[in-house]
Amino acid sequence: MTRTRQLALLWILAVCLLLGHNVYLWAVKRIVPDTDIMALLPVQERDPVLQASFSHMVDAAQQRLIVLVGAEDWQDATRAADAYSAVLAGRNDIFEATPVNEKTQNDWLSLFQQHRLALLTAQQEAQLHQQPSQFWLEAALAKLYAPFGGPKLGAWQDDPFGLFAGWVQERALETPVRPRDGHLFVADDKRQYVLLPLTLKVPALSMTAQDTVLPLLKQAADAARKASPKVELIQAGVILHAANASGQASGEASTIGIGSLLGIILLMWFAFHSFKPISLILLSIGIGCLGALSVCWMLFGHIHLMTLVFGASLIGVAQDYGIYFLCNRLAADEQLDSPALLKRLLPGLGLTLLAAVIGYMGLGLTPFPGLRQMAVFSALGLVFAWLTVVCWFPLLIGSRTLKSGGLVRVYGAALQRWPLLRLNRTTLIAAVVFILAAGYGISRLGANDDIRLLQNPPKHLIDDQIKLSKLLDAPTPVQYFLVRGDSVQAVLEREEHLKARLDSLIEAKRLSGYQAMSNWVPSAHAQAARRALIEEKLLSDDGPLKGIAAQAGEDAQWIAATRNGLLAAGTPLTLEAFLQSPASEPWRHLWLGESKGVYASIVALRGLSSAAAPQVLLAAEGLDGVQWVDKVAEISSVLGRYRAYMSWVVAAAYIVVFGLLFRRYRGRTWRVLAPTALASVATLAILGYASQNLQLFHVLALMLLLGVGVDYGIFMQEHPDRRDHTPWLAVGMSAANTILSFGLLGLSSTPALQAFGLTMLLGTALVWLIVPCFGSIIRESKHE
Amino acid sequence: MNKTKFAIAALSLLALGQVQAAVPAAKIQAMLAKPSVMCGRFDQTKNLAGMKKPLAAEGRFCVVAGKGVLWRTLKPFPSTLRLTRDEIVNYQGDRVAMRLDAKTEPTVRVINNVLFSLLAGDLGQLDTLFDGDGSVDANSWTVSLKPRQAALEKAIGTIKLEGGNYVKSIVMSESSGDRTTIVFSAIQTGEGAMSKEEAALF
Repeated sequence: MTRTRQLALLWILAVCLLLGHNVYLWAVKRIVPDTDIMALLPVQERDPVLQASFSHMVDAAQQRLIVLVGAEDWQDATRAADAYSAVLAGRNDIFEATPVNEKTQNDWLSLFQQHRLALLTAQQEAQLHQQPSQFWLEAALAKLYAPFGGPKLGAWQDDPFGLFAGWVQERALETPVRPRDGHLFVADDKRQYVLLPLTLKVPALSMTAQDTVLPLLKQAADAARKASPKVELIQAGVILHAANASGQASGEASTIGIGSLLGIILLMWFAFHSFKPISLILLSIGIGCLGALSVCWMLFGHIHLMTLVFGASLIGVAQDYGIYFLCNRLAADEQLDSPALLKRLLPGLGLTLLAAVIGYMGLGLTPFPGLRQMAVFSALGLVFAWLTVVCWFPLLIGSRTLKSGGLVRVYGAALQRWPLLRLNRTTLIAAVVFILAAGYGISRLGANDDIRLLQNPPKHLIDDQIKLSKLLDAPTPVQYFLVRGDSVQAVLEREEHLKARLDSLIEAKRLSGYQAMSNWVPSAHAQAARRALIEEKLLSDDGPLKGIAAQAGEDAQWIAATRNGLLAAGTPLTLEAFLQSPASEPWRHLWLGESKGVYASIVALRGLSSAAAPQVLLAAEGLDGVQWVDKVAEISSVLGRYRAYMSWVVAAAYIVVFGLLFRRYRGRTWRVLAPTALASVATLAILGYASQNLQLFHVLALMLLLGVGVDYGIFMQEHPDRRDHTPWLAVGMSAANTILSFGLLGLSSTPALQAFGLTMLLGTALVWLIVPCFGSIIRESKHE
Repeated sequence: MNKTKFAIAALSLLALGQVQAAVPAAKIQAMLAKPSVMCGRFDQTKNLAGMKKPLAAEGRFCVVAGKGVLWRTLKPFPSTLRLTRDEIVNYQGDRVAMRLDAKTEPTVRVINNVLFSLLAGDLGQLDTLFDGDGSVDANSWTVSLKPRQAALEKAIGTIKLEGGNYVKSIVMSESSGDRTTIVFSAIQTGEGAMSKEEAALF
C-alpha cells in the first residue's frame, strides 16, 4: 500500500518536471517543428564531398523564389510585374530582389575581352583545325563590309574573325533569359514573361517565415492581376512546397488526433458509462505524448512535423494499457483491491509494453533520421503512458468505480460463438485454401521505391515547376556530374574530357546543354593550345591578315599593329579572376572549391529527360575523378534496400518476441504470435489483390502490427477461459481505437503515411477477428 | 542571365539602325511615306579604328511591311542579310554564314518585333530604347538617337538619321571608334520595286 503511494508520488514529481519542461519549450523557447522533408532522409556519410556537392546545389536553390509574370503583350507583362514587385519592395526585411544592374552588365564583358584570344567554342576550334586560310580571310572581309553582320563586340580590329563574338553568343545560349527594358525577359510561343528572381532573407523552411511570405505573395499576385487582368503567374520555390507540406501535415495531425480521440471517448462511454475512465485514459495518453516530446527534444534538439503526425497515431496504442487495466477491473471481484489486481496483471502488461517497444525499435534501425525520431518518440510515449497506468491507476480506480454497459454484454457474448481452431479436416482445408489464396495474392505484389512516396506536392505546384523549368531550360539540381581533382587545373581538364563526351550526347539530342566552370574558364592547357592554334592559323605572316591588308589598302605596319593588339589579349584567364568578377555570379555554385586537398566542381545538365539519364551517366565511365550523382535514384535505392532489409528485421523480431514470450507461455507461445503472423500474411495478400505496390512503409507497418497484435494475443492467453470476457473486451476496444487512429492515417495524402495506415487498418482488424480462434483448447476443455 | 546583354544589345541596335521611321516626332511621322514594299540602293562607307582608308561597299536593300528586311551587299563581296519574324540569316553566296533562330535566341523575335512595329510607324517601342533629338524643316528632318541604357550606348554609340519622305542616310558612331555611314538612293516603292531574285529570298 505505502509502496503504491510512494510510486504514485514519485510519478507525480516526474510528471511535474515534464509539464515544466513542456511549458518551457512551447512558451519560453517557442519551438517550431521542422518541416524540411530532406531532414527525413539519410545523411550521405560515406562520401563527404558528394554530400557537400548536394547540399551546395540544394542550398543554392532553397532560398530562391522565382516568379514569372506573363502576358501576350510585353507591356501588359511588365506592368503586372512592376505591380508585383512594388508590393514586395516594401518588405526588404524579407525579400532581396536581384536588380537588373547596368553596371555589372557593363563590367562582365571587360574581363573576357582581356583574355579573348584563349576563348573559343568547340566548333571554332574544329574550324581552325580544318578550314584553310581563305575561309578566315572571307569571314573577316564579310565582317569588314557588313553593316550589321551579327553580334559585334567592340571595334572590328579587336575581333576581326568574329571568334570572340561567337564565344559570347554560345555563352548566351546557356540561358534563354534576356535583359529587356530593365527587366529580365523570357518567352514561349504564346506569352512573354518578366522573370523576377527573389531571394528570401528568412529561412524558407521555417513555418513563421512561411506564414509571413505566402500572404505577401498572394497580395503581390492580386496586385499583378489588378494591373493586367489576363496575366499568367508562375511561381516556384522551395518555400511554396514547404508551406504546402507543413499546412498539409499540421492539418492531418489535427484531423487524425481529434478523430482518434473522439472515437476513444465514444467507445469508453459505451463500455463503462462513466467519464472517469475516459479522463484517466486521456491522462495516460497525454502524459505519454508530453513525455515523448520532452525527451525527444532533449535527445535530438529538434522535432520534425512528421514525427508529430506519426505520433498522433500513437494514441491508438498508448491506450491499450489503460483499457486492459479498466476491463480487468470491471470483471474482477470487488473484494480484490486495485493494487493487488495490478500485481496480477503486471506480467501481461509488461510483456505488451516490451513487445510494442521492440516493434518500434525496429523502425529505429533504419538509417532514416526521421524514422529514428518517430521510433524513439513512439517508444517513449508508450513507456510514459504505461508508467502512468502502473503508478496511478490502482490508486485512482477503486474496486467499485466501474459499471459495464449493455454493449459490453452483447459483444462479450459473441466470444462464445466464435470458431475455435482444432486439429481437424475443416482446419486443414481452411489452411490449404488460405495458403493458396495468400500465396497468389502476395505473388501479385509489385514494389515501389519512388521518392515521391515521401512527399506529394499538389498538382498546381508541380505544373508551375514543370512550366518554369521548360521556360528557363534550367538544369536539374538532383542529377549532375561531380568532378574532382588534386588541383584547379586537374578539375578543369577533367571537365573538358567529360564535356567532349557530352557534346556527342547533345548532338544525339539526349541533352540540350551543360553548365560548367570550364565553359567560362578553360583549363590552362586548353587556353595555351587555342592561343597557339590562333597564332598559327590566323596570325602567321602568310595568314589571312595579309589578304585583309591587301583588300583594305593597308601595309605591313598595320598587320603588325593588329597582330600585336590581338596577342595582347592572349594572357590566360584564371579561375580566381573569374570567381572575383561579377560575371561569375550565376555560376559560382558550380565550383565547390578545395577541401582536404581535393578540388571539386559540378557539371550541371540542361534538358535531361529521365529516359536519357541511363545513357548520359555512361559519360563518366572510365574518366578519372568524374562521378555521376543522381540523388533521386539514390534515395529510391535506399528506400528499396531498406524495404528488403526491414522485411528481415520483421522476421527477426518475430523470433525475438517468441523467445521473450516463451519463458511465460511455453507451449502456448505460438498461439500468441500466430494471429498477428497470419494477419500480416493476409494483409499482404489483400494488398496484392488490390494491385498495390509494396513499399518500405507497408513493411514498417507490419513491424508495428507485430507490437500491437502481440498485445491482443497476450491479453487472450492471460485469460484462456472462454467464459471470461475481459480480454476479449480489452482486445475489442483497443483494436477499435487502433483502427480508428490508423484508419484515419490512411486518409493522409502522403502516400507513405497512407500505405502505413492502410496496412495497420487491415492488419489490426484481421488480428482482432483471428485472435479468438487461437484460444487454448486443452485448458478450456479442462474448465468445462 | 546578364551575359548576353552586349551581344544582344549590339544586335538589336544594328537592326534598328536601318529602320527609317525612328523618330519620336509626329511631324516626321507625318512626313514619311509608309509603303508596304520599298527597295533601293545603298552606299556604305566604314571608317574603322586603326585603318587609314575608309572601306566602301554598295548594294540593294528591301523593306517589306509584315515580312522583314533584305540587305544585299553586292560590292566588293556579295553577301545577303535577311531579317524575318523567326530568324536572322546571313548568306555569303549560297553558304549560310550565320543564323540566329528565334527558338534558340528568343531575342531575335524581340528585335524583329521592334523592327516591325517601327515599320508600322509605332514609335512607342523606339522611345523606350532611345533618347531622340531632332529637327524638322519643310521637306527634311534630322534625328540623332542615343541609347537610354548605358550598356547599349557603350556597345554601339549613337545613330544619326537624315531623311524626308524616306530616310536618306544613317551614320552609326560606335564608342570603339568604328563609324559606318550609309546613304540611300534610287528608292522605289510598290509591287514592282522588288526584283524576282529578291522576292525569292523572302
